[in-house]
Parts: sequence; C-alpha cells; structure tokens
Amino acid sequence: MIKINQTFIKNFWPTFHNHGQNSHLKSFYTFTDYWRLWVLSVLILIATALLPLCLVTIIHYQLIQKSVDSELNLRVERLSSNATNAINFFMEERLDALIFTVNEIGYDKLTNKRKLDEIFKNLKLGFGGLTDLSVLDTDGNQINYSGPFNLEGKNYKNQAWFSESLGKKYFISEVFNGYRDLPHIIIAVRSVKPDGSFFILRATLDTERLFQKLTSYRTGDHADLFLVNNEGILQTPSVTYGSIFEQTHLILPKKSGNRKIVETPPKKTDLFISKHSFISTKIVGTPFILVVQKKKADMMHTWLDLRRNINWTVGISTVLIILVISFASTFMVNKLFLVDKAKAETMLQMEQSHQLASIGQLAAGVAHEINNPLAVINQTAGYIKDLFSFKDEPRNDEEILEYIDSILDSVDRCGTITQQLLGFVRQFDIKIKKVCLKEIIADVLNFHKKEAEYRQINVSTSFPDIIPEIITDKGKLQQILINLINNAFQSVDEGCSINIIVSWITMGTIKIVIQDTGCGIPEENLVKIHEPFFSTKQGKKGTGLGLSITYGLVKKLDGTISVQSTKDVGTAFTIVLPVKIQEKELG
Amino acid sequence: MKIILVDDEQKFINMLAKRLIMRGIQADIAFTGEDAIKKVRDTVYDAAVLDIKMPGISGIQLKKELKVIDSDLKFIFVTGHGVASKSESNMIEEDLYLSKPLDIEILIEDLNKIIKNG
Repeated sequence: MIKINQTFIKNFWPTFHNHGQNSHLKSFYTFTDYWRLWVLSVLILIATALLPLCLVTIIHYQLIQKSVDSELNLRVERLSSNATNAINFFMEERLDALIFTVNEIGYDKLTNKRKLDEIFKNLKLGFGGLTDLSVLDTDGNQINYSGPFNLEGKNYKNQAWFSESLGKKYFISEVFNGYRDLPHIIIAVRSVKPDGSFFILRATLDTERLFQKLTSYRTGDHADLFLVNNEGILQTPSVTYGSIFEQTHLILPKKSGNRKIVETPPKKTDLFISKHSFISTKIVGTPFILVVQKKKADMMHTWLDLRRNINWTVGISTVLIILVISFASTFMVNKLFLVDKAKAETMLQMEQSHQLASIGQLAAGVAHEINNPLAVINQTAGYIKDLFSFKDEPRNDEEILEYIDSILDSVDRCGTITQQLLGFVRQFDIKIKKVCLKEIIADVLNFHKKEAEYRQINVSTSFPDIIPEIITDKGKLQQILINLINNAFQSVDEGCSINIIVSWITMGTIKIVIQDTGCGIPEENLVKIHEPFFSTKQGKKGTGLGLSITYGLVKKLDGTISVQSTKDVGTAFTIVLPVKIQEKELG
Repeated sequence: MKIILVDDEQKFINMLAKRLIMRGIQADIAFTGEDAIKKVRDTVYDAAVLDIKMPGISGIQLKKELKVIDSDLKFIFVTGHGVASKSESNMIEEDLYLSKPLDIEILIEDLNKIIKNG
C-alpha cells in the first residue's frame, strides 16, 4: 500500500518544484518555468474538454425546456379546447331546446300555466340543467312562469338583461343574482305573437350544473378552470381568484364581434400558463370567457428532476475530467522535467568534461613548450658536468658563465610558461570583470604560437582604433575564443591563414570574427554544427561538443554567434557581444 | 660513428653535439629540414636524430626525404610531447623515439643499437 502511494506520488504529484537549486544546471534546461507549463497544460486541456460538455449541456437544457414548454402548452390547449367545447355545447343545447319550444309550441300554449309546466318538465327530463322557464311580454311583465321560485307577476323591465334580450333574437346573460338572489344565467329567445308584437321565452340555467361541468375538467391540483365575463369578474368559483363575482384583474382578450370561437394562445408567466377562450354558440355569443390556468412550477418538477440529474452528471464528469487532466498533466510534466533534468545534467557533465579536455589539450601544448627549455637545461648542465669529468680542461669561466646564463634563461622560459598557464587556468573561476579583448586574444594565440610557426600558419589580428574593453565573464569568453581558435587551427592546412578581426557594431556591441582559409564546412553540416555530439573529426579528438558548448557560452554572455562557410574556401565565425553584460547570476 | 642532429632548438642541439663529440661521436647539426637535406646530400651519416615538430618540414616528412637520399640512414626521433600522437606513432613505430629532456647515455646506447643492427 505504501509502495503504491509512493509510486502515485512520484508520478502524479508535482515533483518539478525543486527545480533550479543550481543556477548553472538551470541554464541547460529547455523549459524554465515548469509550473507555468503545468498550469498552461491543465487550463488548455480543461478548456478543450469542458467547453463541448458545457455547450452540449446548454443546448440540451434549451431543448428540454422547449419540449417541456410545448408539452405544457399542449396540455393547456387540450384542456381548454375540451372544456370550451363542453361549455359551448351545454349552452347551445339549451338554447336550441328553447328555440325549438318557441317555434313548435307557439305563444298561446306558452301562456297556459299547465302547458308551460308540462313543457318545463319535459325540458328538464330531456336536457336537464334548467331551473325555471317563463314567458315575458315586451313591457317586462312575466306572463307565465314555471319553476321552483315564487316569481309570478314580476316585472323585469328595469333589469339589464331584459332590455338587452329585447333587442336581440337570442340572448345569453352573465351570471347574476336577480330577484331570486341566487347566481343564475338567463337564456332568452325573442319571438312574435299572432298579433305581430314580440314576446320572450326565458329559461334560467342551473349554474350548479355548469360549475360541476367545469370542475370535471379540472385535472390534478395544478389546473384551474373558471369563467369570467368581459370585465374580468368571476362567473364561476376559481381556485386561484376566489368565489363568484370577485374581480380577477386578468388581462383579457377583446371580445370580437363575430360569433366564432376566438382563442388566444396560452400566455406564459413565471407562475402559470393560462389560456382564454370565448364561449359562444353557433347562433349567439355569450359574455363568458373560459380561463384555463396551469401552475408552471408544479408541472415543471419532472423537468427540474431531469435538470438535477443532468447537473449531477455534468458536475461529476467535470470533477473527474479536472482530476484526470490534472493528474495526466502532472505525470506528463513530471516526465518532461525528469528528461529535461537528465539532459541538463548530461550537458553540465559534458561541459565540464569538455572544459577538462580543453585544459588537457592546453597542458599537452604547455608540456611541449616546457620540455624544450628543459632539454636545453639538461644538455647545458650535462655539458658543464662533462667539462669537468671528461677533459680536465682549464676552467674557462666565461664559457661556463655563458652556459649557466643559458640554463637560467631556459628556467625563465619554463617559468613564464607555467605562469601563463596558471594565470590562464585561474581565470576559469573568475566571474564578471573588465576584459581587454586584445590581451585575451593575444593570450589564447600565445598557446598556438609554436604550432603556427611549425605549420607556417599566418595568424593576424585586427583591432579598431579604440581597443575595446568589455565587461563580461572572462573565463567564458576565454573558453569561447579557445574553442573557436582551436577549431580554426584544426581546419587549416599548412600555409593557410587565420584572421581575427574585432570591430564595433554600435556603442554597446562588439563583433569578433574568427576567419580561416581552411577546409570550410559543407552546407549540409552548417545547420548541425551547434548540435551536441555532432562531429566530423572522426576517429580524432572530436567530442562533438565544442561548438554546442561555445554556442551555449555565447548565449550566456548575452551574445549571438553565426557562421558563414564555403567548402574549400574557409569559415568565418562571428560573435556579437554586448560591451557590458547584464548584471545577473551567471551559471 | 657520424650522425646529424636536426632540431630548431639551437641551444639544445649545440650542447648535445658538443657532448656527443666529447664522447667520440661525430655530430653535425642542422636547425631546419632544408639544411639537413643539404648536409645529408653532401655527407654520409650513420644516423639522424630528428625533432618531430619543426617549423617548415616536420621530422616525419624529413625522414621520408632523407631516406630517398640515403636509404641506409637510421633514424631516432626526439619529441617534446610526452607521448607522440597516434598518427605520429604509426609513422615512427619502426624507429626509436625519445622524449625531451633526453638522457645522453640512452641516446648513445640507442644509436649504437640501431647502427649495429643495420
């Protein structure tokens, strides 16, 4: 278990935070900020993964919302349509019965009390829903009455419905209390007496029956069905707005003139969906508007449940995606860091070994330089000894002094060389300081003096009038020059020349060109020469690191290096360096 | 025994020649390859002691040229490097080479050896 934990932590826990203890090592890393890399990787991956998920979720939401809305509308529509048809039919049936009665029976029989009772009885049996039946003359006098209330002889002239019904052939009234002081609806049919004057057959509708009809359509707790008149006054009780005759303050559609059933599309408010439809028979309109209301929130719980499920799924997926991406990124960046670290360590080692190699090369040269004067000392001292042991010649002090001078001279030569070497090697440690370019180039060339002589290589240097002094890391600059000058010496044949040209570019930058008339670099190799381990010195002393390290060193001195080369004509390396290096920690 | 010493280190071969002469060896000196060629053309030597690194003609090149003039000539190389480099040692593997600073007794011993063998 502990082992698994360790493996997990090693792979999926950021281990790149300890990066950068060694500033020299740091300079070899390909990426400098691993945290930034990690954050960038996590953000990009999360954005790529979550964006489509969020988009799909939003689209899904909208689709569901739409379908739920249309389902809701459909239900309200259906309910409204059914209820409207039923109410219409209820009204129409009774109106038709009344029209039939008037046309069939005639005024004389209708004014007969017994006959009217009989007709009323038959109507109640045949259709039901009627409370009473009466006949009125044009002055509003009730001529005949059949029904449970004691309304005989009442005059309706001053009642609103009477004057209205007198003006029309057919009439259906609002719900009102009237003389009986009970909510009722009047259906009136105007007809002509034998003498030519009008009379009215009036029936009272049983509102209770209407209420029941409406109630039968009320499905579930969330629906409310009721009738209002054009002024929005309740004609039947409503769950939401209270009992009959209450003002609803609903915004109602304007009553249209014709008798067709006018419907308004369902209105959506935050709380409910409502639909208004006019109740109208085929032959006459009514003052009623059927209102169907369905509470939205209650019907939405299916949708809300679904949404909760989607939210959970999306939420859990998001958390999972973020976790997986974070772990994967950490794993990736960890591996990258480890590889980069290994690379940096190898590069550092290589740089150090290359430094050792160049010091070794130097040492070989120095040994040669020292061995020559040593040989002179050896032979001169040997000769002096011989003078005493071989021939017992008289001492020629002058000659011996000359030989001793020769020995001292050679010792001086050795001393100079070792001093030079020490001074040179010591400078590898020294950090930023003022450097005289002329001196440093002369120092490096000093080590190749003999070689140049032996191989008859013409080495020339050229400096501008004001000899540049630059502030930089002397050790690094020295190594750059050693590497490039060594390369130049290795690539030229006898009798060729090496030119070192120093010139100003601007006040702040200086250019050093190391030019040789050697073998040149083939074009296909030019792009590769700064790559580590690329070498054409097969079987010779090439490690393939010289130029790659030189390139790194120049970069560390804030400079640039470029190369122009033509095969068999020669090569020129151009280094551009700032006169004053930026103050920073140099590796 | 007549030999020629070739080295650009003038003081070194001056002294060496003087000491060899003291020991009964006829030693001529030449400071450059060209000088040596001239001298070998004029005189017959038993052996040549050559410095490997010299301005102009190197010791190894000089050996080839001297061999053309006098095929019997024997060679001993002298080098300031502790060890001759790979390509150099290939060239001189059949010859003796001594490193600087050299011991005159060993040189004489080697000279005797190669001349006797020839």
